[in-house]
Amino acid sequence: MTLETEQDWKSIVHRCFRCGYCKFTHSYSDFNCPSYKKYRFETYSTGGRMWLIFGLINGDIQWSQNLSNVLYACTTCGNCVENCRFEKFNSFIVDFIEAARAEAVKAGFCPEKQKLLLERTMNSEMFNPYGEQNSDNADLKKEYDLPDNAEWVYFIGCTSNYRQKKLRDATLRLLKKAKIDFTLIDEHCCCSPIIRTGQITPVKDFIDYNITQIKKTGASKVITSCAGCYRTIKKDWLKFGAEYEFEVLHTLELVKQLLDDGKIKIKSEYNKTVTYHDPCHIGRHVGLYEEPREVYKQIPGINFVEMKRNRENAWCCGAGGGVKIGYPDWAVEISKERVEEAKETGATVLSSTCPFCRTNLSDANEKHELGLEVIDLIEILDQLEIEINDSNLI
Amino acid sequence: MNKDKSLKDLKEIVGKEFVSNNAEDLFIYSQDPGVSDPQPVDFVVMPKTVEEIQKIVKLANEEKIPITPMGGGMTLSGLAIPVKGGIVLDMKRMDEIIEINELSRYALIEAGVTTGKLQAYLEEHYPNLEVSIPDAPPSVTVAGNALIHGSGFLSQKHGDHGSMLNGLEVVLPNGEACKLGSCALSNYWFTRGPIPDFIGLFTSSFGTMGIATKLSIKLYPKPNIRDIILGRFEDPKMIPNLLLKITHSEIAEDILLSMQDKPEWMKGFFFIMVYITGDSKEELDSKTKILKNIYRKAKGIDMEFPSKKMKDFFLEKPIFYSTTADFRKGGGFEYVGAMMSLEKIPEAIVSGSKISNKYGIITTIGCRVIGKCHNILFFISYPFNRADPDDVQNARNALEETNVAMLELGGIPWKAELSAQKLILKKIDPNYKMLLKTIRSALDPNGIMNPGNWEVS
Repeated sequence: MTLETEQDWKSIVHRCFRCGYCKFTHSYSDFNCPSYKKYRFETYSTGGRMWLIFGLINGDIQWSQNLSNVLYACTTCGNCVENCRFEKFNSFIVDFIEAARAEAVKAGFCPEKQKLLLERTMNSEMFNPYGEQNSDNADLKKEYDLPDNAEWVYFIGCTSNYRQKKLRDATLRLLKKAKIDFTLIDEHCCCSPIIRTGQITPVKDFIDYNITQIKKTGASKVITSCAGCYRTIKKDWLKFGAEYEFEVLHTLELVKQLLDDGKIKIKSEYNKTVTYHDPCHIGRHVGLYEEPREVYKQIPGINFVEMKRNRENAWCCGAGGGVKIGYPDWAVEISKERVEEAKETGATVLSSTCPFCRTNLSDANEKHELGLEVIDLIEILDQLEIEINDSNLI
Repeated sequence: MNKDKSLKDLKEIVGKEFVSNNAEDLFIYSQDPGVSDPQPVDFVVMPKTVEEIQKIVKLANEEKIPITPMGGGMTLSGLAIPVKGGIVLDMKRMDEIIEINELSRYALIEAGVTTGKLQAYLEEHYPNLEVSIPDAPPSVTVAGNALIHGSGFLSQKHGDHGSMLNGLEVVLPNGEACKLGSCALSNYWFTRGPIPDFIGLFTSSFGTMGIATKLSIKLYPKPNIRDIILGRFEDPKMIPNLLLKITHSEIAEDILLSMQDKPEWMKGFFFIMVYITGDSKEELDSKTKILKNIYRKAKGIDMEFPSKKMKDFFLEKPIFYSTTADFRKGGGFEYVGAMMSLEKIPEAIVSGSKISNKYGIITTIGCRVIGKCHNILFFISYPFNRADPDDVQNARNALEETNVAMLELGGIPWKAELSAQKLILKKIDPNYKMLLKTIRSALDPNGIMNPGNWEVS
């Protein structure tokens, strides 16, 4: 979808009044838009971007590399969507930015670093944005003794498969431990990175490919431990015209369901003080706020504490929207603010439910020697003794 | 002006990341959400310190570069749009809350502190104190609003926000920093006098006299409970008496009037919202009883809000009046806010309604009582569709006609846009005009401070 083809968007974007609620937390206590907080020019506020997009549509301003950089210097975290007071169009704000990025790509103004995401994803040896040799997951299937057909598909996602293998392996072990009937597919990128950066030409083909692979397994449910894949499969694939009937769950939703139904019980203790970082792709983009917290709180021994900015007000980790690859230093700068906020709570563990957040939070934690343990919820659960109460779980 | 040299110099003063002459930044800073025409900008600069501003002003004098200071940029009347190009000085990096004095009840802040930030800071750290904030978005600055004689939810009790200034630090057009009020001779920014009061020189002069860098703003005790008693009345002629009776009772925190032709249930009536506060339910009940009695005697009825959502909307601080910008699905509105004397409000309502009807804009009129009826802020809103140039021009025409009408009624357009400034200067006492010109010429011989505004020929 682009601004050009979606005429409706052209007739909406000018409705932004540039009032600036989008910059803040709910209480106005701080600027919560990473881009505005960094650059401070009004241009880098959401309102500034909306007015630039309208200016482009109107012909009042022309494409340039600088203008493109303004549009790409945004993590698409959705704080603006959350805080914009114009209810009739606020849910489209991130779509506007992504659509404008697609226009930038068409006009030849996609920043060079972000272009790498597409080049690598399109490479038939890779099919992932990290430039790694594509894994068809056959070895993993063998290692974990997984069938060809199953009720569930675990969609690993590129970040877990190529960068955060601990999370991948923890998820595999947890699913096995919980006796979930699942399998893996020879997956290609879910397309989150290229959709977020407006490089949408091949998206439909990738979606079709992945859906075909899922359908081959006969699965009726897809599970993932990646917030980005989750949001993309659940929302973006449908926006791009995909038709599928399988249910999409994040691993944390499955765990919560199993715990709530008494089908699993956590037996050992996790005697640490833990705080939770809401990934934008699970939180503001989809609305899962309480579910992960309910899982943490069922872990015996845990001392769960909240950061000052949480749930809808969470400060972004800084990795999303192509910012990690496009502005790596700034991405870590954003993340540093989050890790420091976590430290203020007295927590020793900063946990999340997204491998991309985990990566960026870890980068800041290590770079600035902040001394927290950064770990995914699923990895915590993997460390604990879990009692299975029913062999026919779900 | 040697633009390349100026750019280099500005970068040396504030750092290269806080100066821009990029097309997209100039585009954004060349306009505001009102109907004013965009004007070319040469540089956007974001200083962090008073010293940086002093250097910028000295450079501007050398190079004859106009400077337009900008707070939130939300006056809607184009006051931060540089009429003659030059530098837009975006003040929002100067955003420190320097001191909250609980005993003398003031906040000493830098000029870029937003109303949202100060409001949130007080709620978290000083829950017994509050600052009067305008019904503008939380992104506007405390300084910007006070310096245009803004008003807010405590203005009925305590006057407009300009009068809540206890002290000011300004960089004068010659680059010297100057403190005004008690802070000129004391560490306490607690009062404007008893020395010659120059703070007025910097209010509603729209940056033509200097650049405010710090200010002390009054804080007030915050009551525990707040409620609204809504009343409906028919005849606008009774407004002056009704408001006098309510203010005489000394029970109102804030008093707002509104008249709208839509939704249908509002048409043909005027509505009054009296905000009452207290520390106990009993106190509020007692005030409610008094108000309802006043309403009844004025042949009005007290009524419930049609929905909780609507009541919550009006209880929120700030009230989200920017919603008006979407009335015509177009992202824009501007209003004539005119300071009026109480006795002229009924006529202003009739006049405003006629103008709205003439321009095909749904009548949306409101009033806020300032200082127990010493002054009434009368406002009539003209939403428009930014994407439709004819609609923008229509709103512009309606605004102009309303400004003329309010001046004829003895009112004064508030935060006047350029055309309204011209109307005011045309009508104003010639000696006032001469005094303005004399002061301005003395302070700013090079004419660098927001030139084009309050221009006396």
